[in-house]
Amino acid sequence: MTDRAVTRDADPRPSPGVPLSARRRGVAGWVDVRGRRLGGVAFILNRITGLGVLFYLYLHLVVLSQLAVGPSAWDSLLKNWFLNPVFLVLDVVLLAGLLIHGLNGIRVALVGLGLVVSRQKALLGAFGTIGAIVLLIGTLMFISHGG
Amino acid sequence: MTGRVDELPEPTGRSLPLPERWAPEQQETIPGVSWAWQAITGVLLLVLLTLHMIANHFVVQGGLRDYQQVIDYITNPVILPLETLFLVVVSWHGLLGLRAVIFDFGLSARAERIVTRVFVAIWVVTVIYGVTLLAILVTHR
Repeated sequence: MTDRAVTRDADPRPSPGVPLSARRRGVAGWVDVRGRRLGGVAFILNRITGLGVLFYLYLHLVVLSQLAVGPSAWDSLLKNWFLNPVFLVLDVVLLAGLLIHGLNGIRVALVGLGLVVSRQKALLGAFGTIGAIVLLIGTLMFISHGG
Repeated sequence: MTGRVDELPEPTGRSLPLPERWAPEQQETIPGVSWAWQAITGVLLLVLLTLHMIANHFVVQGGLRDYQQVIDYITNPVILPLETLFLVVVSWHGLLGLRAVIFDFGLSARAERIVTRVFVAIWVVTVIYGVTLLAILVTHR
């Protein structure tokens, strides 16, 4: 074992880009951006969005149980809650979280496999652009469904 | 690990001193496997989640499926296996990710094994719950 990748952005092991001193401080360690490279910041974003999306997944699975109750339960839930503007805003937040997590995940996988390691900033720019465009289109579609 | 067992100090509730627990060489094998699983399921999710989002939110009149539209959707012989696979893969990916977050707090090997077993159990329960729900909807339409 060499020390080649302990703080390298592309380190496929847990907590890449996070200084060892920060790792020892648990959650407080993750949100501390000092001493990190770009990949380290992306790593924190991936954790936050990942936890948020996992929370949503279980919320979603619980809500889907209303389908088993019957058509009226589901359809009234839809009409009274999920097509409400507040929920449409939350849908935009969810889409943003999924995009950040998914696109950053592709970046981590590519870099972790040793691909595009030298072009990480270009990759970040490209994925940021793709994410922003998809989020804009998605938001416009959510708005068109609202009201 | 360095030193003989009989040279170690009395137990303090921690299996290893902090610096040793974070020694990268101890994290070489298992996280490598976890990372590969995360990457494989992640790639699958790119396809399955994109399909799920487009089918359920972007091509539906009104933005979300009402009861009858949900039933029509999941009884489609192509969609049902894909949505079932999505359930299996997304819960695996999510729980494996949460497990990695918990492991980064620095657990003993024994605690890590317990966490892994608990998470496998949660995953199995999640899949059983989802498949049961799908079965109810497909059979009682």
